[in-house]
Amino acid sequence: MIPINAVFGLGLVVFFIGLFGVLFRKNLVIMLMSLELLLNGVNVILAGLSYHLKSPRGSIFAIFVILMAVAEAAVGFALVLACFRQKQTYDVDELRDLRG
Amino acid sequence: MPVFILIPLFPLLGVLLNGLVGIRYFSKRLTNVVAAGSVALSFLAATASFLGFLRSGGPALTKSLYTWIPGGLVRLAGGGAAAPSIELAFRYDSLAGVMALVVTGVGLLIHIYSIGYMAQDPGYVRYFAYLNLFTFAMLILVLAANLPVMFIGWEGVGLCSYLLIGFWFDRDSAADAGKKAFLMNRVGDFGFLLAMGLLLSSLGTLDTAAISAAVQGGGLSSAAATAAALLLFLGACGKSAQIPLYTWLPDAMEGPTPVSALIHAATMVTAGVYLVARMHALFSFSGTALTVVALVGAVTAVYAASLALVQHDIKRVLAYSTISQLGLMFVGLGVGAFAAGIFHLMTHAFFKGLLFLAAGSVIHALSGEQDMRKMGNLRGHLPRTYAVFLAGALAMAGIPGLSGFFSKDEILASAFASGKYGIWGLGILGAAMTAFYMFRLIFLTFFGPERLTPEARRHLHESPGIMVIPLQVLAVLAVIAGYVGLPHVLGGGAWFSRFIESSTGPHEVHLAAATEVLLMAISAGAALAGLVAAYFVYVLKGGAPARRLAERFRLAYRVLLNKYYVDSFYGQAIAGGALLAGRVLSWFDDRVIDGLVNGSAACVRHVSAVSEAFDSGVVDGAVNGVGFVHRRLSSGLTRLQSGYVYNYALSIVLGIVVLISIFVTVF
Amino acid sequence: MIAQAIFYFFGGLAVICSVLVITQRNAMRSVLYLAFTVLSIAGVFFTLQAEYLGAIQILVYGGGIVVLYIFVIIIVNLKEMTPERRKLLPRIFSLVMPALLLVQILLVLFRNRTAPPPGAEPGLEFPAFAEMLLTTYFIPFEIASVLLLAVLVGAIIIARRTVLHDSH
Repeated sequence: MIPINAVFGLGLVVFFIGLFGVLFRKNLVIMLMSLELLLNGVNVILAGLSYHLKSPRGSIFAIFVILMAVAEAAVGFALVLACFRQKQTYDVDELRDLRG
Repeated sequence: MPVFILIPLFPLLGVLLNGLVGIRYFSKRLTNVVAAGSVALSFLAATASFLGFLRSGGPALTKSLYTWIPGGLVRLAGGGAAAPSIELAFRYDSLAGVMALVVTGVGLLIHIYSIGYMAQDPGYVRYFAYLNLFTFAMLILVLAANLPVMFIGWEGVGLCSYLLIGFWFDRDSAADAGKKAFLMNRVGDFGFLLAMGLLLSSLGTLDTAAISAAVQGGGLSSAAATAAALLLFLGACGKSAQIPLYTWLPDAMEGPTPVSALIHAATMVTAGVYLVARMHALFSFSGTALTVVALVGAVTAVYAASLALVQHDIKRVLAYSTISQLGLMFVGLGVGAFAAGIFHLMTHAFFKGLLFLAAGSVIHALSGEQDMRKMGNLRGHLPRTYAVFLAGALAMAGIPGLSGFFSKDEILASAFASGKYGIWGLGILGAAMTAFYMFRLIFLTFFGPERLTPEARRHLHESPGIMVIPLQVLAVLAVIAGYVGLPHVLGGGAWFSRFIESSTGPHEVHLAAATEVLLMAISAGAALAGLVAAYFVYVLKGGAPARRLAERFRLAYRVLLNKYYVDSFYGQAIAGGALLAGRVLSWFDDRVIDGLVNGSAACVRHVSAVSEAFDSGVVDGAVNGVGFVHRRLSSGLTRLQSGYVYNYALSIVLGIVVLISIFVTVF
Repeated sequence: MIAQAIFYFFGGLAVICSVLVITQRNAMRSVLYLAFTVLSIAGVFFTLQAEYLGAIQILVYGGGIVVLYIFVIIIVNLKEMTPERRKLLPRIFSLVMPALLLVQILLVLFRNRTAPPPGAEPGLEFPAFAEMLLTTYFIPFEIASVLLLAVLVGAIIIARRTVLHDSH
């Protein structure tokens, strides 16, 4: 039996590593990768819950999360490509056109 | 392992070899051998199975290869029992046997012909791979023991027809024609799927023999049977180009001519006829469905024949002719004479395939010219082609003595005998029109003054042997094949019908001998009348009466030329409708997004406008103060909208923190 | 026992690799470490007896998303960016916020929890999983496929070059 706290711990660690990645990097592509880490952390927690409650619901939810990750990655890349063509930069701080 | 399982296997091998390896590595000769050889082996297997079946006099052979969907896995709605298993199973009976012979036999001849016809084409290997794939799918279709396996073959031939119609895909018209064929087929497939669902939930099985037994045992309500039959017929209409799903077939002439011969004359379009014949018990049970089938068939037959009268393109005449003859086959099925319908299917495969291939020979001889107005007097230059073409046209028109006459007549006699005189009348009309346009084609192409372009004249040559010999074989078949079904009245044993009826159930035709001979004479007379009329108009008078008629009834002529405007109607109604829906949705999307984006600013604006109006009566200072507060608020708010992604990310985290706090304190 | 050890192994590997993901300057290296992270997490899934999830993780994440990242980096020709520092105040916020979040999450996680009654849920076997996916969660499943279709079309439209002249 794998202790549930260990699973939570792992998931949270990966989640927060991803969160720091999103907040601290300016490189657009690396930010997107950190988003994937966020989602993976969440999936670990879901799989752990699934394991402990002996229910498939957790991993089903995780599958949907992966699907959403795919969708978001695809659109994100399209946006990165379009952005890059317009501005020739991938510094996220340069993307300021939608100011109020 | 019964032999008949091998029949679809050889073309599959051919596809895999040619498609995967041959594209790169095979010489032309090796491709030919693989492609034609696999079909030849298939034909041998079909013949062997057929002879074995005849000798054993026997019941149908069934063989299941693999349990596809195990039983009990799916529960039917309504708390019913679990569905039985669906097997990957095949069945060989008289109907399947005949179809397999036709498909492999005619297919083999067309493969051989294609070796000559497509010799110069760069897409040579791809062509033969597709052709083999098609043969494989068609054989799966005819040998299937249950509806899902048949559907695999059904979809497979649809796919292959798309691939082959659009074979020269860099031509826009060809690519569009392929798409059109596939999409129209899809509409029909929808009916097929719904019918399968209906049958599965009512009868609990999709095996064709089991369905027939269940229906005959009274296991299905009349309404459900009618619904299922009509849905299946919708599928058949899509595949066999009946009204309203026929407009793809004339456009499908964009493909290479051997493709038109195989797919659109001899085999794929007959899949619909086969389906109805296979499900004969279901259709017989529902009188309504049978009437619909016969009616649609008869109307389509005359309708398409009327369109064939004015076409200038030699292949399009044959295309409309195919639609018309398919309609006639459905008439046969619709009056309960399933065996007669299949008989006509077989003879039609021979003479229509022959006609298409011969037309291909003419086109090949004229270096690609397809417009009959630029032909003429080819009789002397292309004697062998002319001979086989004439044989095919005579068979097609129903001239007595050739195969087409016997099969057509059996259908018409059955129609008359079952009391459907209107349909019989339409059939006779169709026969006359068929003879007329067929011989119009012959006379315009092979007789009369020469109207060739100088280019074509210079390259005029008879086709090579490899193309002519299959034509001659088909011509012989077109002449003699009718005699296997010679009716009693003329001294024959009607062996074909009795043979097929072992699969489709007996069908008695109660007609006095004299009546039957009289009917035969009438239909023969109609055919001869058509021929004579064509001769009169096009040979004796050089086409002048036709031109005068076109002048006098200019509107009718234009309607016919534009195919009754059906194509443009479909394009505007259906494609236009989809575009309109898209535009409506996009309008809605714009409004919603804009609304949300402007929402916050608009709210703030509205709030300040309202409060300003409300307070303007009070004190100027208070009013100003309110306005001032609002301005400060909104400028503060807009500073939130900095545009920095980073700020937004932090705000998201902040928001989550806040939300979790609320969540925690409330629960 | 063994399962725990394997879990810790993969978990530790995942943590190390994910840290490496966010600390690289070269984007290509980050992608590489992301691939390792994804595979380690797939390993974690396997030890948690979510085999299907692990397989999907490898296929979709590893085989799809990571490859997609690589292609984007190649197409965009990502070079290293020089200054990757922001001003002080934002960076303090970036530390404080996640810390707050972490505290909250831990508070929620370590409250009293009641276990659900045994036998209320089907087991972790694959048939039960498949049945639940295709019956209870059938509608989200179908909506997800429609969503993917929409994403497919949308991504193509967003990413294409604005002027299209086919020379057919």
